[in-house]
Amino acid sequence: MKLYYSPGACSVGIHVLLEEIGKPYEAVLVNLREGAQFKSEFTAVNPKSKVPTLQRDDGSVLTEYPAIAYWLSATNPGAGLLPQGPEAIARALELTDFAVATMHMQGFSRIFRPANFASNEADHPAVQARGSEIFEKGLAVMDKALEGKEYLLGGYSFADTALFYVSFWWAGRLNRALPANVAAHYTRMKARPAVQRTLAAEGLA
Amino acid sequence: MKLYYSPGACSVGIHVVLEEIGKPYELSPVALKDGAQYKPEYMAINPKSKVPALQRDDGSVLTEWPVIAAYLARTNPEAKLMPTDLEGEIRCMEMLDYVCGTIHPQGFTRQFRATNFTSREEDLPKVIEQGKQLAAKYFDTLEKGWTHTGTWVLPSGYSVADAALFFVEYWAARRSGMSLPPHLDAHLKAMLARPAVQRTLQQEGLPA
Repeated sequence: MKLYYSPGACSVGIHVLLEEIGKPYEAVLVNLREGAQFKSEFTAVNPKSKVPTLQRDDGSVLTEYPAIAYWLSATNPGAGLLPQGPEAIARALELTDFAVATMHMQGFSRIFRPANFASNEADHPAVQARGSEIFEKGLAVMDKALEGKEYLLGGYSFADTALFYVSFWWAGRLNRALPANVAAHYTRMKARPAVQRTLAAEGLA
Repeated sequence: MKLYYSPGACSVGIHVVLEEIGKPYELSPVALKDGAQYKPEYMAINPKSKVPALQRDDGSVLTEWPVIAAYLARTNPEAKLMPTDLEGEIRCMEMLDYVCGTIHPQGFTRQFRATNFTSREEDLPKVIEQGKQLAAKYFDTLEKGWTHTGTWVLPSGYSVADAALFFVEYWAARRSGMSLPPHLDAHLKAMLARPAVQRTLQQEGLPA
């Protein structure tokens, strides 16, 4: 098993899952800052030029955060990352999709890569402000989902790794405040040995 | 079961899935053009202010296109809309996520809601053009990855992945005036020939 990742990118959440599972895997660095995702070595693996990308032992490649997270959780039942029953799985995927497709791709991407949204540099502050607005609205949804719970589904699941990486970006990289329940979740996540090992391995600790 | 939708929005794909299943359901329009998604009546149902949202018979609400599709497929196994083996399931999910997480928001939101990307009127054509280019690039990635000879996205047969790919193909062909690569063009035609798709388009008042 090989995880293609970039330090601190959303792949950090999949990295956490692999550490939770605890089986041997290889972490392969794809330096997004240097554009390594567009080089032929990587596009041969994932033509979408994105991380996380998971190459399995038979050589086949899996992409998309929710699909990778679900597959890892389903194939490693002993790790307890897959919630029990179709309803709980649907809820876990719903939260994961929201973190990835809305908070990350619509919110955070505007903050981190405003040039992808507006070519005119003078527009960047407005793009970033809109990104913050989308992200904060997402945090409010997550805060409500965490009401009275330690983890998103009650017990720990793969969905928590998605909330973790967006929380890490917001609190850890931008020093912005998280709402109370999300802040407590973030603290709980950082206390997990698998998260600590991941952050150390990616040079983020 | 009640589907909150807006005519021609991505909810059209979930509408197709409901028509494929063929059990009774209710349609509730949310006029995105009038900003109905931000009104308290709708926010009480889906605080994310998005369609599709599916309200189930117990009143609980499910959001996120891929999750609604997977839920409908799983709870209606006789409709055979999602592979039951894990490998088939994740390949299906991978397509749903790519369409809903990348092709739609990166490619088509730029074209349909360019003002979300720039405040300058003079930059709007550039945003729209970039959206078209990105969508074409994503379609090209799918075209190159279409390595089987079947009509449908998954080699195992028709699934909710086809309903997902359909709504972006339909946008490309009917709203954006884009031409689709061969496999995707044939796929769109095959979708438009399905009675469930025809019923859906008619109910939403959309051209076939």
